Amino acid sequence: MNLIEKIKILSDSAKYDVSCSSSGSDRKNKKGGIGNAAPAGICHSWTPDGRCISLLKVLFTNSCIYDCKYCINRSSNDVPRASFTPDELASLTINFYRRNYIEGLFLSSAICQSPDYTMEQLLKSVKRLREEENFNGYIHVKAILGASNVLIEETGKYVDRMSVNIELPSGESLKLLAPQKTKESIIKPMGLIKSGIIQNQEEKQRFKSAPKFVPGGQSTQLIIGATKDNDLKILKLSESLYHSYELKRVYYSAYIPVSKHPSLPAISMPPLLREHRLYQADWLLRFYGFNSGELLNERNPNFDELLDPKSDWALRNLDKFPVEVNKADYFMLLRVPGIGVKSAQRILQARRVSVLGFDDLKKLGIVLKRAKYFITCKGKYFPQRSIPTNSVSIRRNILSEDNIKIHENVEQLSFFTLFPGIMAAKENISRITGEL
Amino acid sequence: MMLYYIYDGTFDGLLTAIYDAYYEKDFPEQIVPLNSFTDNFLIRRHHIQTDMEKSRKVHDAIVKKISKNALGNIMYAYLSEHENAGIYILEYLRFGFKVGKIVDSYLSDDRVCNINKLVTKINREKHLLLGIIRFRLLQDNIYYAPIETQYNTACLLGKHFAERMADQIFVIHDVKRNYGVFYDKTKWFMSDIEINGGIEFHEKELFYQELWKQYFESITIKDRINPKLQANFMPKKYWKYLIEMK
Repeated sequence: MNLIEKIKILSDSAKYDVSCSSSGSDRKNKKGGIGNAAPAGICHSWTPDGRCISLLKVLFTNSCIYDCKYCINRSSNDVPRASFTPDELASLTINFYRRNYIEGLFLSSAICQSPDYTMEQLLKSVKRLREEENFNGYIHVKAILGASNVLIEETGKYVDRMSVNIELPSGESLKLLAPQKTKESIIKPMGLIKSGIIQNQEEKQRFKSAPKFVPGGQSTQLIIGATKDNDLKILKLSESLYHSYELKRVYYSAYIPVSKHPSLPAISMPPLLREHRLYQADWLLRFYGFNSGELLNERNPNFDELLDPKSDWALRNLDKFPVEVNKADYFMLLRVPGIGVKSAQRILQARRVSVLGFDDLKKLGIVLKRAKYFITCKGKYFPQRSIPTNSVSIRRNILSEDNIKIHENVEQLSFFTLFPGIMAAKENISRITGEL
Repeated sequence: MMLYYIYDGTFDGLLTAIYDAYYEKDFPEQIVPLNSFTDNFLIRRHHIQTDMEKSRKVHDAIVKKISKNALGNIMYAYLSEHENAGIYILEYLRFGFKVGKIVDSYLSDDRVCNINKLVTKINREKHLLLGIIRFRLLQDNIYYAPIETQYNTACLLGKHFAERMADQIFVIHDVKRNYGVFYDKTKWFMSDIEINGGIEFHEKELFYQELWKQYFESITIKDRINPKLQANFMPKKYWKYLIEMK
C-alpha cells in the first residue's frame, strides 16, 4: 500500500479526535536539531469544517481487536485497514514540519495485537523522531488503555502531551457501548501520568536540567449526545478531572453517527449547539472562577440552548447586579455577561488613570450588547431609553437580539464553536494564563 | 497650508521626522513615506533627511522616558503602513513623553487607542503567518515560501523560523514588497529579492504536496462543513500560496 492511501485511511480514522492543540509546551530546539514548541500554540490551516489543523493527526494503525459500538474502527466494521511503520511516520512528520504544514505529530492508535504491543509501536515512533531525527517540535501521544506502566512512563519522557480519552461520561454508558473498557482502566493511566508530571515538576525545581515529562500536560475527550448523560454529569466530571487529575483540557465532541446500533441514538445532526454550551461552561470553570454547582443543578441539569451559561447564571443571580465598573474587583467583572478575561484586564488597567464611562468602555473594545444590563458606570446605567432590571425582560431583550440569528441561520451558531483550542480569541487567554 | 513631513519610508526616517517635529516645534498635519505621498497645492512639504544619529536619540529617549513596550508599539504601528501611522505615532509619543510609562494604561485615549488598534492588527497577521506560510523545497535544497501580506510583517517572521528550522536554508519572499527573510543556517537577515528565471522544485516536493492535500481532505468532517467558519479564521486573501487550497 502506498503512503497516500495510508494517510487517507489513517487520518480519516483519527479525525473524530477533536484535540489538535499544540499549546502549553516550551520545548526548545537543540543544536543541529529541527523544531521547537510555541507555548501559545499555532494553527497551520483550517479545514472546510472550520476546525484548525495544528498537528499531523493520524492513527498508527486502524486494525482493532476491540468492538466499541460508537467507534468507526470497531473490529466488526467493514473498512479498509492500514498501518504505518515508525520510519514512515518519522519521515512524514519531518517533511510536513519542514514545509511548515504542522506544529508536530498527534499519534493515536487502534489496539492491534495487544495494548502493550501497540504502545511499544507508538514509543518506537516518537523515540525515532526525537533521537534519530533530532525533532523537537510538538508531540502528542495517546496512552493506550491497558498498556503497562513502564511503557506509558517511558513514552512520557519523549512527548509534550499525553491523553487518555474517556469518551463516555459514565460507567453505565461504557458498559452499554464499550464493554471492553471500564472506568478503572481509563482512570489508571491518567493517575499514572499525573504523578509522573508532579514528580517531574519537583525534580525540575531541584535540577533545572531534569528531563521533561509531558510538559504540555494531559487532556481527554468526552463524546456528547451518544448516551443519556446530562450536562450536569458531564460538567461535574470535567470539574473533577481539572481538580483531581490536573488535566489541561477536556475536549467535547458532538456525537456523529459513524455506525448504526440499537444502543446508539439515531440522530440526524450532531448536537453542535450543546457541545458549544459545554465549551462555554468549561471556560467558565477554568478561567472565570465558576464551579459546576453554580451553573447547573439537579433541577436544571442541562444548559439552556438559547442562552449562554454565563448570562443564564447572571439572570438567576440578579441580586448581585448591577456592578459598578469603576469599583468591582476582577472576579466580579469576570462574572458580567459579555466581559471576558481580556476585557476585565483592560478595565483594571484603564481604571488606574481614569474613571470610566460607557464611551470609554467602547474604546476599550468592550462589547456592551449583553453587559449593559448588568453594569453601571459612575453609578448610571447605559444611556438607553429603558434598560430593564428584571430577569424576565432582560432575558427577552437578549433573546430577541440573538434570536434573529438563530432563526435566520442555525448554522451561524456554530460560528462561535471555537474548536480545537488555539484560535485567535482563546490564544489571548492562553497568553495571559499560560494554561491551555 | 497644511504641513506634511515626507520621509524615505524607513523606520529611521520616521524617527528622524519625530526628532525634527520636536526640535523644530512643528505640528505637522501628516507624516508620510515618499512613495505614498500625493501632492496638492494646499500642502507645504518638508522633506526629512534621514539621520541615524537623530534616529538613535529618539529611539533611546523612548526606551528611557517611556518604555521598551512603547518602542515596540510604534514599530508595529509603522509596519501597518496605515495612512495615518506616522501622525498617530507622533501623537502617541508626545503623550508618552508627557506621562511616562503609564501611557499604555490610557486605553480609552485616542492617542493610545489608535496605536493599539494597529498593533493588534499586526499581531494578528503575524501570528496567522507563523502558521500559514508554506515552504516549497527547491532543487538546490532551499526552502522557499512566497507570501502576500496585508501589512509589512515579513520582518517579524525571521526569528521564529530561524529558531525552528535551524538546520535548513530558507527564504520567505514578500512578493508584493519585493523583499524578504533569508536564513543561511547561522543567521537571518532581510534583503531585497529579485527572481530571475523559473523556480525548479526538488524531485520530492510534489509528492509531499500531494500527501498534504490528501491529509487535508481526509481530516475534514463532512457532517460539520462550515466554509464561513473556515474563512473567518483563515481569510481568503491569504489562500493564494496555500498548497491545500489549490
